[in-house]
Amino acid sequence: MRTITITVNGLSREATVEDNELLLNVLRDKLGVTSVKAACWRGECGLCTVLLNGLPVKSCMTLAVEADGKEVVTAEGLYSDERARKLQESFVEHGAMQCGFCTPAFVVTSHYVLSRDPEIDGEDLKRELSGVICRCGTYYQIYDAVRDARKYYKDKNL
Amino acid sequence: MSFTTPYFTLPKFTYYKPDNVSEALSLLKQHNGKARVLAGGVMLVNMMKERMALPEAVIDIKGIGELKGIDITDKGVEIGSAVTASELQKSEIIKKRCQPLAKAASYMGDKILQNSVTIGGNISIGMPSTDGLPALMSMDASLEVRSADNVRTIPSSDLVVNIGRTVLRADEMITKIVVPHTEGVTGTYAKFLNASEVAISTAALSLSLTQKKLRIAVGAISAKPYYFDQSLLGWKWDGHLEENIKTSVEIIGSSVKPMSDAVAGSEYRREVSKILVARALKDLFGGA
Repeated sequence: MRTITITVNGLSREATVEDNELLLNVLRDKLGVTSVKAACWRGECGLCTVLLNGLPVKSCMTLAVEADGKEVVTAEGLYSDERARKLQESFVEHGAMQCGFCTPAFVVTSHYVLSRDPEIDGEDLKRELSGVICRCGTYYQIYDAVRDARKYYKDKNL
Repeated sequence: MSFTTPYFTLPKFTYYKPDNVSEALSLLKQHNGKARVLAGGVMLVNMMKERMALPEAVIDIKGIGELKGIDITDKGVEIGSAVTASELQKSEIIKKRCQPLAKAASYMGDKILQNSVTIGGNISIGMPSTDGLPALMSMDASLEVRSADNVRTIPSSDLVVNIGRTVLRADEMITKIVVPHTEGVTGTYAKFLNASEVAISTAALSLSLTQKKLRIAVGAISAKPYYFDQSLLGWKWDGHLEENIKTSVEIIGSSVKPMSDAVAGSEYRREVSKILVARALKDLFGGA
């Protein structure tokens, strides 16, 4: 067992973990961050995606100890970002979900994608979001929601 | 690979995060075959979930600066083994001088996994599905392999022995990839996936019109990629492109012995490989 410190959504958090624990388990079970979903457990579905030091990674493929001293952002943490809040509203407006289980991962990933490239469209957008799977198949509503939210990421005042 | 095991836990191991390569190598030596190197973790973590890898020590090399460089030196382009697929695609050096690799990196897993996947990990697992190895072979890349006591350089084409088996000893790791003669070399990479996104065949091409060099590596159809150069392909630099492509594709089709498995049969893989190579050659010479 060792104690690690992770900045989760802006707050410094400590957790006592085994070397072989996955970041996914620690976030959900020890730190109470439940927007991070556990589904396939093998890096395929992307529902456990978090931003680790700003980059999207799948937390079922990441050891908790690897995140020691790093910063993790999940869907909960995006609330403080005005653009990301508008992005989430856009998901609602476009009905970009059916069961909603994949929504946090899609929000986190599309926030990252739009922050880097607010002009993204077409095949590029689909490719950038290819790491997250929606079993209900609401992809087209998700693409619409993200495309519609581009204006907030281009807006310098937000 | 079994799909019935619950993959929620990992076996017990001790995690190490060395600051530099020599520390990592002495840890590997110290654990005498019972340690595994963790880079992106994309393969290793899943293998541990399946209990296909049971290391007593896991050595995380991701944060080691020495393994993260992409530099132009007198040997060519030198790439650290812990450079990620995302970093390869963003690098101006790779985009300009190692085109097959830049494109191959865009096929390594999905966009999120590409932030984790490393070039060293992608090739050193020794699986036929590697995108990195055919790309490196098409550029005649060599690999710097280090252990605590030794440094050796091997051609990328010598890395894989059989499926899941490489020439790397348990105390060794790939530290660097060297791509020689990259000036004026263009290239491309093509991949054909089945509906579950498993590779049927891949083709990596490198072309230098000034040096009259054309190299093709066909991957994912056998334990290790097949390599062809202009002489093996009977390429005529003053001949018609259509004729050249026809001859090359026939030669490749008749010399490869693709594997048959649950993903695809041997003959299907052969036909797909021929089509991939033909298309990639058209693309490459169309743009040259």
